[in-house]
Amino acid sequence: MKGIFSVLVENRDGVLSAVSGLFARRGFNIDTLAVGETENHEISSMTITSTGDQRTIDQIEKQLNKNVDVIKVRRLSESKSVCLEMMLIKVSCTLANRAALIDLCKMMGANVLKVAPKYMLLEYHAHPDSVEDFIQAMKIYGIIEIQRTGTIAMQK
Amino acid sequence: MTGAQAMVRCLEEEGITKVFGYPGVAIAPFYEGLYNSDIEHILVRQEQNAGHAASGYARVSRKPAVCVVTSGPGATNLITALATAHADSIPLIAISGQVSSKLLGRDVFQEADMRGATRSFVKHSYLVKNPDDIPRVFREAFYIASTGRKGPVLIDIPMDVQQAELKKSFSYPDELLIRGYKPEIKINPIQLRRVVSLLDQAEKPLLCAGGGVILADGEPVIREFCEKFNIPLVHTMMGMGVLPKKHPLNFGMLGNNGKPYANKALVRADLLIVVGARIADRAIPKPENLTRRAIIHIDIDTAEIGKNIGPTVPLVGDLKEIFSLMRDAEISRKDDSWISELDEIKKNTVDTRVFSDRFVDPNLLVQTLSEKLKDDAIYVADVGQNQLWSADNYVMKEGRFITTGGMGTMGYSIPAAIGAKFVFPERQTVAVCGDGAFQMSMNELATMREHDVDIRILLVRNNYLGLVREFQHYHYDSHYEGVELGRWPDYGKIAEAYGLPYNEVSSNSGLDEKLNWLLEGDGARMLVCDVDSENNVK
Repeated sequence: MKGIFSVLVENRDGVLSAVSGLFARRGFNIDTLAVGETENHEISSMTITSTGDQRTIDQIEKQLNKNVDVIKVRRLSESKSVCLEMMLIKVSCTLANRAALIDLCKMMGANVLKVAPKYMLLEYHAHPDSVEDFIQAMKIYGIIEIQRTGTIAMQK
Repeated sequence: MTGAQAMVRCLEEEGITKVFGYPGVAIAPFYEGLYNSDIEHILVRQEQNAGHAASGYARVSRKPAVCVVTSGPGATNLITALATAHADSIPLIAISGQVSSKLLGRDVFQEADMRGATRSFVKHSYLVKNPDDIPRVFREAFYIASTGRKGPVLIDIPMDVQQAELKKSFSYPDELLIRGYKPEIKINPIQLRRVVSLLDQAEKPLLCAGGGVILADGEPVIREFCEKFNIPLVHTMMGMGVLPKKHPLNFGMLGNNGKPYANKALVRADLLIVVGARIADRAIPKPENLTRRAIIHIDIDTAEIGKNIGPTVPLVGDLKEIFSLMRDAEISRKDDSWISELDEIKKNTVDTRVFSDRFVDPNLLVQTLSEKLKDDAIYVADVGQNQLWSADNYVMKEGRFITTGGMGTMGYSIPAAIGAKFVFPERQTVAVCGDGAFQMSMNELATMREHDVDIRILLVRNNYLGLVREFQHYHYDSHYEGVELGRWPDYGKIAEAYGLPYNEVSSNSGLDEKLNWLLEGDGARMLVCDVDSENNVK
């Protein structure tokens, strides 16, 4: 099963390493991890997604809660929260198929950031599943490079 | 006031009178602070043992104890002791000197990233960069170490922070605000009712006590509870001493190295109440086999619930509080039939072990020793066959049995016994170790003599790393590799070098007299007992 955790932590050095270290030490998997400051600069927010059986997902929540630098852990359900991921993707294209690619981007809501003779640089943000779909759609053009932010999520 | 003076002041505020440590340049300012304080510094002979001595001190005093080391190798030497304390949830405050904050990360002389290195071996850690943070950090560290599930807390302090002047005047905070740490857990009344109802219905309830009971000072309330409702008890190695061994409701230690009748009780019970135990492999090798019966799991640490076993009813909270409530709850007192059934099993459990009559029989050794010990004696067992013989045969009265159950760190007994003895100089203290473990911390004989600490050392000698040898015997066709200690050193000469009265015994017939010798008189002494290397635990 998938676990989505929204975690508030102290914005201090070593906290990210403590949280990721906890996953490593106990053999938990991190699928994605996104971190940023909240409106209070003393507190950072992390969105961590992980997959595992029920016991593992329960343990992740409990072990995170044990960490003194972790202020609050919320487990989000996919149906009751908004999940979003952003991606930068560089796709090969030629003069011949450029128009088709631009149409596809329009249809899917991706932004064209740069057009070069041999590639286009696109920005796409959507639900992580749609990001996967978009990557699949780009494969026929040829993907040169991908940067993904990982999931960020918020309860509705 | 300098950072170093503030550190010493914080320790005084916490009522610390002794610290165990080993100085170096990066912690020198703190030692200058100690020089002008009444706190006594006990110089150990290697940093790991500062941690073990503090662990012994903490376990017997039931309060956090302090160890101090310098940066780099001094700090890394301490890590094994931190891991040992962490595994057994022992409250320690470990202070490590660090290179100056402006040099951090440059790999200068004796720099080691202690926070990073100890991440998974401490409950929490601090790297102090501002001297004005020192009072808050110490207050938090002591609070975190000694509340909830206890454990070691590391305070790493760069040398320049120790030397710098505080900008604010020193004030030790009364109030604490740690956003991410709320150890006080309100007991869930619905879960408690379910627990009481299961207990009321159960015909064959069995309480399984772990080390958490002792850490929570829960022995008296558990005893009252068991006695009031006639509920039998088994325990893990760390839970030894929750009930005296000869108490009619005590059915012994669980696990491969425990009593067969304790394990049988576990199988026969219809309700298991696990208290302050991790249900780790050594006590319950196959927890999945227990899932047929109802299990209540009581622990202070939410993360223990469901980690190794999925309980029917979990209950999280302070067990003293929980058992005070349960003691006063309406639960039907169990009749004697379940106890009689267990008594019968105990009576019919025949010890099939045959021991050679050459040398000293280690089981007889521990039994005889425990008969001779005073009721409140402190028995510190090391790791290896000696630990298992001790746990199996020691007849606990009202004293303490101290050993490292989680980490199994060889060399623990002598430094831990030294720490324990400092708390209660009047209580008889015995360290029992093998010849392997002894050689890992025999340097601490100097600490012991220097401070005139009266520890009675019982060295069980078979010239082998016996427990590994035993493993090789059973699992690798007796291919003994790397386990023979040989005939060195001459322990008599070691004892003489440290000015320690010394004796040896190599037969059962001489045992009584030699053990009397070990325990009589004033001052530390050492007895070496020769046991047969063929003599396995199982």
